[in-house]
Amino acid sequence: MIEVKNLVRTFKSGDRSIKPVNDVSFELEQGTLASIVGKSGSGKSTLLSLLGALDKPTSGDVVVNGVSLASMPDGKLTNYRRRDIGFVFQQFNLIPNLSAVDNVMLPMEFAGMRKAARAERARQLLEQVQLDPDKHVRRINRLSGGEQQRVAIARALANEPKLILADEPTGNLDEQTGEHIIELLSTLSRDHNTTILVVTHDRALANKTDRRFRLQQGRLTEEPARNRATAAVTG
Amino acid sequence: MSVLARSVGNAFRNKVRTAAVVAVLAVAIGLALAMLVANQAVTGKVAELNASVGTVLTVNPAGGQGFEGGGEPLTSAQAATAAAVPNVSSVVGTKALRLRNAAQIAAEAASGRTGQGGPGGQSATSVTTSLTAAVDAGTLGNRNQASTGTSGTSGSTTAAAPAFSLPITATGIGAGVDSTGKALQLTQGTGLGNYTAASTGALLGTTLATKNGLSVGSTFTIQDKTFTVQGLFDAGTAFGNNALYVTLPTAQTLAALPDELSTMIVTVNSMENVDAAKTALQAALGSGKADVTQGQRNLATAVSSLDSVKNISFIAFVAALGTAGLIILLIMVMLVRERRREIGVLKAIGAPNRTIGLQFVLEALVLVALGSVVGAAVASLASGGIASALISSSSTTAAAGQRGGPGGFPGGQGGPFGGASQLLTSVTASASPGVIAAGIAAVFGVAIIGALVPALLTARIRPIEVLRGE
Ligand SMILES: Nc1ncnc2c1ncn2[C@@H]1O[C@H](COP(=O)(O)OP(=O)(O)O)[C@@H](O)[C@H]1O
Ligand SMILES: [Mg+2]
Repeated sequence: MIEVKNLVRTFKSGDRSIKPVNDVSFELEQGTLASIVGKSGSGKSTLLSLLGALDKPTSGDVVVNGVSLASMPDGKLTNYRRRDIGFVFQQFNLIPNLSAVDNVMLPMEFAGMRKAARAERARQLLEQVQLDPDKHVRRINRLSGGEQQRVAIARALANEPKLILADEPTGNLDEQTGEHIIELLSTLSRDHNTTILVVTHDRALANKTDRRFRLQQGRLTEEPARNRATAAVTG
Repeated sequence: MSVLARSVGNAFRNKVRTAAVVAVLAVAIGLALAMLVANQAVTGKVAELNASVGTVLTVNPAGGQGFEGGGEPLTSAQAATAAAVPNVSSVVGTKALRLRNAAQIAAEAASGRTGQGGPGGQSATSVTTSLTAAVDAGTLGNRNQASTGTSGTSGSTTAAAPAFSLPITATGIGAGVDSTGKALQLTQGTGLGNYTAASTGALLGTTLATKNGLSVGSTFTIQDKTFTVQGLFDAGTAFGNNALYVTLPTAQTLAALPDELSTMIVTVNSMENVDAAKTALQAALGSGKADVTQGQRNLATAVSSLDSVKNISFIAFVAALGTAGLIILLIMVMLVRERRREIGVLKAIGAPNRTIGLQFVLEALVLVALGSVVGAAVASLASGGIASALISSSSTTAAAGQRGGPGGFPGGQGGPFGGASQLLTSVTASASPGVIAAGIAAVFGVAIIGALVPALLTARIRPIEVLRGE
């Protein structure tokens, strides 16, 4: 359960100030697959960074399972990012000189998991995101965009987070690959009861999610609820 | 994959740049190590000079030196007086004897050349020995012999006269040092143990032993008493090696002068106190009774020039070390800036600050380790050259200063001490593993300090950097 309460993020540039996130409030039940659509520059990434504790809000709060981020010291926020959040970025943001397996193992290393255990789990996760086994030990910069995004999703899943934040995960991928990625996320939320919040430009993809939000100039509105089963049929 | 493995991997991410950084570091580290080695070599030499020759005062009877001159002999009581002078750390008495080959004396007496009258001075008695001198009289010896005057009869220039042989200097010493206060360089055997007790042991110069077919454990006689060779020494000169040492009481007994000393070797506790101690010593002993000389005045110049080499090399060491640290600092700052976004990624996926900081420090240490390996190789090749270049540029001054110095030593032993420049060039800058290890430890210390700043900078990079440029 994640509760967002009157979240505001203000950026000052010179004498002008902008509010990409302006009084945003919503709640997500555990296991929900939700989407945010909005024009470029509407504040989607800024909102996601506040939810994932990459950035701090100017005001307002995010409460995860009853724990408020606003009251957490930096060390606790690091723990929160490591344990409770999985981030998937448009640019993948993998470490280019490491192999796929090594990238997936990183969050587990930071969590103090033993080496053998994390190697084993990384392998399982890469299988789960359907990366060819012969590509597991390949360096990231020798993988295609779709493959890299699969590795990034595997990395996001590494520490079994409650919430996955995906910022335009299909933005750099072709339509078909993008659909696979969304299907993958959809399956994950169902199978692991993981809450997933995905930012996308793609209406068709958004239509496949349980809840759909629209962000316009920092303000969040929710579109009518759709049943995921219905979405799958009509989508 | 661990932090260390990641750091090693990162260090080699850009191989061309890594090679360039390692090369620059190797120059700085190599220079630092070479300077350290040079500094250690010179420091060792300065300590050695200060410990022995540089702080040694020689006391002779007023008006006499060695077997020349006249005056009253020194006594054990005067040695006690000298020891009580402030800043005097030790007083070693010596008693010199002239040994002549017993058979030779007999032959000379038979041929009309009566026993050597001696040149006057303190060595009243010639003492007989079974040893033969290792040095042939030659032109100089025979000329000296003629001028010091044998009291032979007028008809002594018979063709049958046997060749004159040089005496052997036997010195009784109160410690394991030579007549100038330098530790004896034993090439074989041991010292005499307690130098202040009578003993039948003797230390022979290498050439003297060879001439007489003696080695450690062999015996010979002085004044019909049997002595055992306990060690061989190398004084470095032919004259110095035609000599032997016995303990001080033994020599005094042989000369039948139990309380007399030929010279006293007074060691002052430090270089700075030598002048004051010399004045005090002269006053304590009385100017009419003893002559106090600082034989190695010239060495003060040598030591001070060595001191400046020591300082220069130390400053250069520190400067080169600082340069290595600065190179690390700048390279790592550059790397941190370059990997800003990647650091953001690591933070976004929950890396603690200390893990990221450690990763960068380790990466710096990998570069330093490579630089040290190359640098140590450079240093071991270059340090000898650097040290001798540093020293030869300063020894010119020292050699010039030496010319004004006093002449030879008692017994004419100017040789080993004649050349301050000789001492200077004998500074050997060998890259000892201990010094190199200490230098590399210092390099690593500086590198850690240099890498700490950029590592701390990574802590200030916020996870939001991951979104830069998206
Ligand atoms: N660090 C920042 N400083 C100033 N302005 C920023 C910063 N980050 C984002 N913005 C501005 O906030 C607005 C929203 O950005 P963003 O959240 O990235 O939009 P979106 O992801 O929806 O395209 C943009 O106008 C952007 O220029
Ligand atoms: Mg964005």
